[in-house]
Amino acid sequence: MNVWRIALKEIKAIRDIKTIVFLIVTPILTILILGSVLTNTFNGSKTVGDIRVLYKIKSSESELAKSWDAFADQAGKNGMVLEPANENTDGKLEVANNRYVGYVEISDSGLNYYGNSSSPVESGIAQGMITAFANRYKLAAAAGNSDQAVLLSGNRSPDFVRETSLDTARQPRALDYYAIAMVTLIIMYSALPAAELISSERKRNTTVRLLASPITKAEIFAGKVVGNLLLNVICTIIVVLICKYMFNVYWGEHLGLVFLVLITEIVFALSIGLGFSYTIKGKAAGSVIMMIIQVGAFLGGSYFPVTEMTGVMGTIAQFSPLEWSNTAILQIIYGDGWYAAVKAMLLNLGLSVFLLSAAAIIMRRREGL
Amino acid sequence: MNVLEIKQLTKKFGEFIAVDNLSLSIKEGEIFGFLGANGAGKSTTINMIASLLRITKGEIQILGKSISQNAKFAKSNIGIVPQEIAIYEDMTAYENVHFFAGMFGLRGSELKARTIEALEFVGLGDKHSSYPKNFSGGMKRRLNIACAIAHRPKLLIMDEPTVGIDPHSRNYILGSVKKLNQMGCTIIYTSHYMEEVEEICTRIAIIDHGKIIAEGTKKELKAIVTNQKNIWIEVRSAEQLDIGKLQKVAGVNKVEIEDRILKFSSDAEVNNLNRIIQLLMADHIEIRSVEEREPNLEMVFLTLTGRSLRD
Repeated sequence: MNVWRIALKEIKAIRDIKTIVFLIVTPILTILILGSVLTNTFNGSKTVGDIRVLYKIKSSESELAKSWDAFADQAGKNGMVLEPANENTDGKLEVANNRYVGYVEISDSGLNYYGNSSSPVESGIAQGMITAFANRYKLAAAAGNSDQAVLLSGNRSPDFVRETSLDTARQPRALDYYAIAMVTLIIMYSALPAAELISSERKRNTTVRLLASPITKAEIFAGKVVGNLLLNVICTIIVVLICKYMFNVYWGEHLGLVFLVLITEIVFALSIGLGFSYTIKGKAAGSVIMMIIQVGAFLGGSYFPVTEMTGVMGTIAQFSPLEWSNTAILQIIYGDGWYAAVKAMLLNLGLSVFLLSAAAIIMRRREGL
Repeated sequence: MNVLEIKQLTKKFGEFIAVDNLSLSIKEGEIFGFLGANGAGKSTTINMIASLLRITKGEIQILGKSISQNAKFAKSNIGIVPQEIAIYEDMTAYENVHFFAGMFGLRGSELKARTIEALEFVGLGDKHSSYPKNFSGGMKRRLNIACAIAHRPKLLIMDEPTVGIDPHSRNYILGSVKKLNQMGCTIIYTSHYMEEVEEICTRIAIIDHGKIIAEGTKKELKAIVTNQKNIWIEVRSAEQLDIGKLQKVAGVNKVEIEDRILKFSSDAEVNNLNRIIQLLMADHIEIRSVEEREPNLEMVFLTLTGRSLRD
């Protein structure tokens, strides 16, 4: 009961305007600012209309012509229209006049492609598909007639051609990304006030009253931790819900699991604050925590996405609490995988147990709190 | 019945002995004054009584039970008014008292009633919803007391409760202490203001270098210095005064000049006032008044410790 009383007192800090600014207003503003300013960095999609490509067959090889016709049928279904050119049509001129995004000349010596420089994306797509056709044709020819037949029918043989999907599942927009990054970052910053949890009681002299009342040190400690945990959880839920319903931030289909990862991160942040405030003497704890957060934020992708960090940096990045929390949440939302989430939760909770135990042992040995 | 019994209490900080084999007992209904200069061991003793510090050696009993074995019982029966104000500025006066009283196991309507009672007792009945950050120093001190009395402790420890406040709040607090005592609360009171201790305490202990060097009622303590007398002579001007001559007068132990008042400390049995007046007149020093003062606690403290309480 006394634990709950102390916890409730801690939660009342939400009435303080400074708490609201720090835990709610700051992350929302940062999310909005970064999400708006860096929109283009994250915008990987472009709407492409019909791709029209002109072609002319000058080859005497009937197999190639047959294969091309099959390819043209298949391409038509995928949004690229291949139109045969008349004998008198100058394909290059048609492209230059922007009537087509590309022109293909098929002769016995191979395929020649002329792209339209004013439609680089469309032309690039067309070129890619035609190159793929050319490679497949060469592969099929080398593999033998029976396989060639399979290839030309449009089916894919895993023995000869392996395709990798580049797409195109849902990707985070800037706002989506920074909502995750800023929420996890602000949670990590709560380690700073957590470092002051007990020392603030000392500064206010209220430790005297608390210790003189018939409750144990463990109850005081637990009450402070539980109260701050709940305070941070409440503020985090508010921020996430504001982002979701006011700014349409996408939090995926498993919001409960996202919250679970965030809650374990809150526990970890509080544990860092408390653990360091007991193990590091003087006022150095705050500086050390600040350094950890800053480095962790840089490596953990709080300021910009760090998806392909390799080498030493990649190894170091794995030690950033923000890296493992951000990765976990991104994977829950966009990857439909829970491995990173389980890893992040176990790391957060495991390290919290270690840090809180250290703080509790030191506090127990001390006179006073 | 003894509310507090201290037996051979010792507290060491490393090699430093802060409290040295101290024994003391306080009876129910007393207002016990605890006097000592800074660093004398007064706060350390109080902190051990309130279970804020561990005991190195010895025993403390509250209402007959050792605090080491019955910490919860002891704490439940003690209230502490720390020297430094110990309240939450971001909580209202009501919330502060309610919170701390709740720590003592009070619940529900009883807790509410005691909270209101404590606030009204210290004269903050109309400040329930106010935040202490808007309070004067005196009001904060009174709230500091309210937080310590809502659970109706048997023993109330008040450590310098009137430091730095206006005379009105000071009188209010002193009145409250007396009233609490009349309601059955035993009080340990420490203060640098001797006149406060003289006014309200029924028994007093003087602590120095971690030991109690004197203990008793005001009358008993003053009897320690009855072999001394104090003569104060006010003069028109002390510019031509030769203190050396006055100090040589038989029986005179000490002479001080403070704002045209000559303060003589002399052996009580020696009749030397005539000789002092003769010397002053010989130097053409005009005398305005002569007064023989009763011994007070300040003199007792000075005599016993060789220093002033505020040193």
